[in-house]
Amino acid sequence: MKKSKFLLILTLLAVFAAGCSTTSKSGAGEEATGEGQDQKLEITIARAFDVNGLDPGFLTENAQVVDNIFDTLVKRDKEEKLVPGLATSWSQIDDTTWQFKLREGVTFTNGEAFNADAVKYSLDRVLDPANNAPTASYVSTIQEVNVVDEYTVNVVTKKPDPLVPTRFNRYPTEIVPPKYAEEVGQEQFAQKPIGTGPYQFVSWDKGSNVVLEANPNYWGGEPDVKKVTFRSIPEASTRVSALLNGEVDLITAVSPEDREKIESSSTARLSTVERAGNTVYVGFKTDVKPFDDPKVRQALNYAIDVKSIVDKVLQGAAVQTNSLIGPKDFGYAGEPEGYSYDPEKAKQLLAEAGYPNGFSTTLDTVSWYIKNTDVAQVIAEQLKAVGVNIKVNNVESSVYRTLVPAGKQSDMYVLGWSSTNTLDADAAIYAILRSGESYSTYANKDIDAKLDEARSVTDEAKRKQLYQEIQDEVLKDAPRIFLYQENQYYGVSDRLKWDGRVDGSIPVSTISAGNE
Amino acid sequence: MKHYVLKRLGQSVLAVLGAATLVFFIIRLSGDPARLMLPPEASEEQVTALRESLGFNQPLWMQYIDYLKNLFTGDLGNSLYYKESALKLVLERMPATIDLAMFAIIIAVTVGLLAGIVSAYKKNSLIDYVVNGWIFLTQSLPVFWIGIVLIMIFAVNLHWLPTSGNRGLESIILPALTLAAYPIAPIARTMRASLIEVMDKGYMITSQAQGFSKPSRILKRGLKNAFLPVITVISLEFGVMIAGAVVTETIFSWPGVGQLIIQGVSNRDFPLVQASILVISIIYIAITLVTDLIYHRLDPRIKVH
Repeated sequence: MKKSKFLLILTLLAVFAAGCSTTSKSGAGEEATGEGQDQKLEITIARAFDVNGLDPGFLTENAQVVDNIFDTLVKRDKEEKLVPGLATSWSQIDDTTWQFKLREGVTFTNGEAFNADAVKYSLDRVLDPANNAPTASYVSTIQEVNVVDEYTVNVVTKKPDPLVPTRFNRYPTEIVPPKYAEEVGQEQFAQKPIGTGPYQFVSWDKGSNVVLEANPNYWGGEPDVKKVTFRSIPEASTRVSALLNGEVDLITAVSPEDREKIESSSTARLSTVERAGNTVYVGFKTDVKPFDDPKVRQALNYAIDVKSIVDKVLQGAAVQTNSLIGPKDFGYAGEPEGYSYDPEKAKQLLAEAGYPNGFSTTLDTVSWYIKNTDVAQVIAEQLKAVGVNIKVNNVESSVYRTLVPAGKQSDMYVLGWSSTNTLDADAAIYAILRSGESYSTYANKDIDAKLDEARSVTDEAKRKQLYQEIQDEVLKDAPRIFLYQENQYYGVSDRLKWDGRVDGSIPVSTISAGNE
Repeated sequence: MKHYVLKRLGQSVLAVLGAATLVFFIIRLSGDPARLMLPPEASEEQVTALRESLGFNQPLWMQYIDYLKNLFTGDLGNSLYYKESALKLVLERMPATIDLAMFAIIIAVTVGLLAGIVSAYKKNSLIDYVVNGWIFLTQSLPVFWIGIVLIMIFAVNLHWLPTSGNRGLESIILPALTLAAYPIAPIARTMRASLIEVMDKGYMITSQAQGFSKPSRILKRGLKNAFLPVITVISLEFGVMIAGAVVTETIFSWPGVGQLIIQGVSNRDFPLVQASILVISIIYIAITLVTDLIYHRLDPRIKVH
């Protein structure tokens, strides 16, 4: 009796197991094809995340995938210069109006015509507060978009905005087909997007991959790569293994520890994009003692040996800098002379500020940055040498994203910032230096005025000069410990020709077959 | 029997409710989804507007009551990021996780039982020590490490298997081996202990007196009596696997519920995390319930505690 019951259970378990295992999906044929098939170049790109929607107007992550399906009015060439996209030219016609002349004869891949109405529609749905578009802040300076004629639109801004062409280069300003978008609704559009871009959507297997194929009628010419699969491989070391194993052809976010593995491989190479990442610094709450005294802030800058951190801890995965602005950003004015490593001077300044015996405080750090805990520990050790006792506090990343904008982080905190795709100083520094901004812990009336002015004058020379002045004053006033700007690394199969970009985009149409 | 079943069913429903409540409050204690959904540059007004439109500005108890109400109508809400039914997303991913857990449990049971039987049969011999040592080793190695080593050996060096993804049978082998590594130990240990205990029982000595050889004694009498505790361990480990595939799925980018949970938690996608945890708890609790009921049938002496 007992025996037969037991056997029954075992059998059931086995049958269940067998039944389940056959349901496992076989791949959608996204396997990268071998070399030598030049006619039909198919590639696989592995990123750390799957997309969670493909509507460029409502993204909650970067536009690496959707930028291949859609076009923007303005594009960036290899040198990151703004060049015509769906707009053939643009000009400022008065303080608050920019006029875009649109490319004629372009159609969406469903046959819908691209025209001024499509531009207006694409922007209106993002600007409509009822739609809660996540990246509405990227275009919040825009008052309205007016159709002048079929191929001309006027963009009217609330205040003079020098960044209009830049805004029309990146999400959420990709142009969508109005008729199709209305017909299927927002949710469905995010599942099955249609654009004018070099690639059209084929399939999205959630959690695994997105497949696109070349748009044969693309206005910019048909690209070399005929089919591209974007896979998500969250674990960094697995991504590298998949590249070395030939399963994927291009990987993003290579961690610095894996550089050597790719460099020494015979099938792939490392593409280094210097200073494409965050400019990392230690922020001070400048309204809190002892950090309200510039002397203390300067002292801590003298106490840190940034060069040794970059060389020894980061193994050269970043570049030491005292510049607030990255070299590819508008407003960059070269590398200013900063604080040398001088612990004696640090002690002297601390004594002058009334802290001859130093003080104790906490430093928050977060895993977003390369070797964040090691860097924080070294900073703590170096500060200890001048009498400042630091407790390092490693905060979980989602918590940190809530903590910092609420001003609830410790008095010293590690933060990194970049111009995220805009390649303009405004995005690189406004939010972290302007008083009252949620990520800023600095308040300096003069800097505030200059930051505000720089985002509202369109004269480029004037803007450059303002950023230069801001740079000089901030360096002296030291609301932060100046550290370094991180590099970014990609792994690229030898069968492809492509290099990483500072703006972080992966325009698949610029990838071609390798140098064999 | 009927009384027992009813009582166990009631306990199970309470357990599911408990899990649903716990996840609701824990996920809300750390982090603000509105803040995480928007880019850092977003203004405070924009964050507030989004929070309101998502209903997260209401008092926690009101949100909780709404959540319970919806729970009873089977509505687990839409994922904040995917903008789709959270339950649908979880159920779409569930087969991949169950496949993986099934494969892993078959490996773990086969290896675990064999190891347990052999080491019980050859108690205190060299082979017993070797088996136990090996089990001890696999259990103390982190899952993460095992996964990466397997990828290095079988994918990168030997090119036998893919590193990651889900493309049929060959891609399931490495993640299944990784996931199986841990439960082998408890299965083998329980099997060994249980068999050794049974072998000392009166009826085994009787069968020895009847002239049966040692292997046939173990196979015919020993095993069937020793299995009962092992079944419990196996079913518990299976439940743990479904819940514990998180790390394995991440290493191998296996598109199951584990990865969905990781993503949900780091985004604070409340509805998605709630739905995942709820489905997993229901599966786990159902497995425990069925095991208990079977156990109760096999051995009616077992009572509700």
